[in-house]
Amino acid sequence: MSDPIFEVRNLNVSFAGSRGTSRVVRDVDLDVYREETLGIVGESGSGKSMLASALLNAVVEPGTTTGTVTYRPPDGPAVSVLELSEQELRRFRWEEIAMVFQGAMSSFNPVMRIRRHFRETLQDHNRNIEAGLERAESLLESVYLDPDRVLDAYPHELSGGMKQRALIALSLLLEPQVIVMDEPTAALDLLMQRSIVSLLEELQATHDLTIVFITHDLPLLTKLADRLTVMYAFQLIETAPVDAILYDAAHPYTRALLSATPDLDVAVDEMHAIDGTKPDPVAEIDGCSYHPRCPLANEQCVRTDPPSTSHSEQHTASCFHYEQAPAAVPIRGDDLAEADR
Amino acid sequence: MNWNYFSKRFGQALLTLATTITLSFVLYHAMPGSPAESLKNVILSQQAASGSGTVDLERLNRMVSMYTNIQPDEPLHVQYYQYIHQIVIEGSLGTSIYENKPVTALIFERVPWSMFISVYALTIGYSLSILIGSVMAYTEKSRFDSVSSSLIIGLNSVPYYIVGLLLIYVLAIQNELFPYGGRVGSNVAAGFNVTFMQSIVWHATLPVISMSMLGLGGALTMRGNAVRVLGEDYLRVASLRGLRRSRIATQYVGRNAILPMYTQFMIGIAGVFSSAVIVEQIFTYPGVGLLMYNAIQTQDYPLLMGSLIIFTSVTVVGIFIADVTYGFVDPRISAGGTDE
Repeated sequence: MSDPIFEVRNLNVSFAGSRGTSRVVRDVDLDVYREETLGIVGESGSGKSMLASALLNAVVEPGTTTGTVTYRPPDGPAVSVLELSEQELRRFRWEEIAMVFQGAMSSFNPVMRIRRHFRETLQDHNRNIEAGLERAESLLESVYLDPDRVLDAYPHELSGGMKQRALIALSLLLEPQVIVMDEPTAALDLLMQRSIVSLLEELQATHDLTIVFITHDLPLLTKLADRLTVMYAFQLIETAPVDAILYDAAHPYTRALLSATPDLDVAVDEMHAIDGTKPDPVAEIDGCSYHPRCPLANEQCVRTDPPSTSHSEQHTASCFHYEQAPAAVPIRGDDLAEADR
Repeated sequence: MNWNYFSKRFGQALLTLATTITLSFVLYHAMPGSPAESLKNVILSQQAASGSGTVDLERLNRMVSMYTNIQPDEPLHVQYYQYIHQIVIEGSLGTSIYENKPVTALIFERVPWSMFISVYALTIGYSLSILIGSVMAYTEKSRFDSVSSSLIIGLNSVPYYIVGLLLIYVLAIQNELFPYGGRVGSNVAAGFNVTFMQSIVWHATLPVISMSMLGLGGALTMRGNAVRVLGEDYLRVASLRGLRRSRIATQYVGRNAILPMYTQFMIGIAGVFSSAVIVEQIFTYPGVGLLMYNAIQTQDYPLLMGSLIIFTSVTVVGIFIADVTYGFVDPRISAGGTDE
């Protein structure tokens, strides 16, 4: 299982702004394993999208990315993504790793038919166009679209869900190893979300894909992902298999996040919003980034940033007090919550 | 192509044309001392000057009617009918009083010259503005961007005829690099030969430059469009897809940014024609504009109405073409709008 396709070490993304430098990804270490689905979860503005963009060295100007991102293809030598030349990067993108992101509703050039998008992608990556377009048709079929109709349509003639699925088909066109999905379902209704999620599962099985899935929708991720990593204040604070996160979360933030997740089965007064506000990206944070909001925080948390420690196999968390966390931050449905009443 | 849309636009174009012609006609006649009256005066004074004595009223009316295609003693709506009738049935716009030639002949002799300089002015002005605008957008907030922004705003605030006057003063009078009037050298034989053409280009240069200043304001529009497109999601996806830079620049940024300028360009045809009146006067370039200017000076009513109608027609046709073809350039319009 521990065959990483991506190794991210000491990754930092920052933007120089008028208020100072915004550090939107801070000292992130992350492994993405081959053919897994890794979920990155965190609240808005926690740096998830920037982390994902950094995997493709696609952080938008004027952001700067430092650290190392190593991509290990199934055959051939490892690639240091952040050191690729412009030409190499152009090849790397979409051939090795494709990205579907938030703005899928306007991801297509409004003045070109969908077919042209597929064709130019094949052309610019020097692929056989006829074979590629055949593949495009079968991909579109596999996302439950009518290839003839969709390929001849202009983007504005398709619904949001259709565009999203067409983009997913387009992202698989060059048979990438990894596909990064940045909130691909955020703009869609629940039904469409579910169908895209099940679609992704099917596609992953048939294409041996590695999927990095980014969302703030925790319940959605638990259905799809193998492992979860939780991002808070520009850092990864806990990484573990889904079940371990759900039933044995070690970090107080993760536990609070789980408690805050709306659920129809739970009474409203049992849902807890997390008090306080998230830190400013410009701020330099001393100690643990979560300490101002954490019920367990003490002197040590204010002074030193907790290192990432192995809680159990494959389960790491950055907290000094992970042993006390379950008692201090109960998740609803826990026995303690019952006792409270 | 949607026929319903096409016919609707065509109808609108005709209506615009008819309204403008009617309005100019009615307004002109509402002026104190209607054209017929002033024409009578002109003829009378000519007669007096040539010393042929008195003219009887009937003969005077006949002459007026010959020039203008209207019977001056009929009521206004009958005059209007007569005028339109002549245009539609006989293709006649009357006879110029001053030049004593058919108005249509006078205008069509001049049209190619005006077209020549205005087409070049438009093309040069818009190509330059697209080019400058794109470079400004790509180098947003750089020194080039801010300097050319201020320059273009400055040029836009200075009327183009001031630029024309400056050009004449500096390049024609002080340095004698270019002629300051006319459309071809007086001692050059007309014909299909190099000297003749050179002379034409030579004479057209300054008018074209000063007129293309008019289109240059488009650079700021282009810059705005391109900056907007650069921030679009499809642009980000295109670069994530590893498309070639040249493809992204032309098909993605260029195409989407130029789209809104297309209509502007077509309407700009009208602007160039009307500016021709002033530019051609400054450079004494004998095109339709100068013809019209002289018609105003000499109160040559038939000629003035005729050139007004020609200007209006060109404008309306330009906008009509823009309307009908926009659907081909931007599929989202799909020449319909109703069948979404």
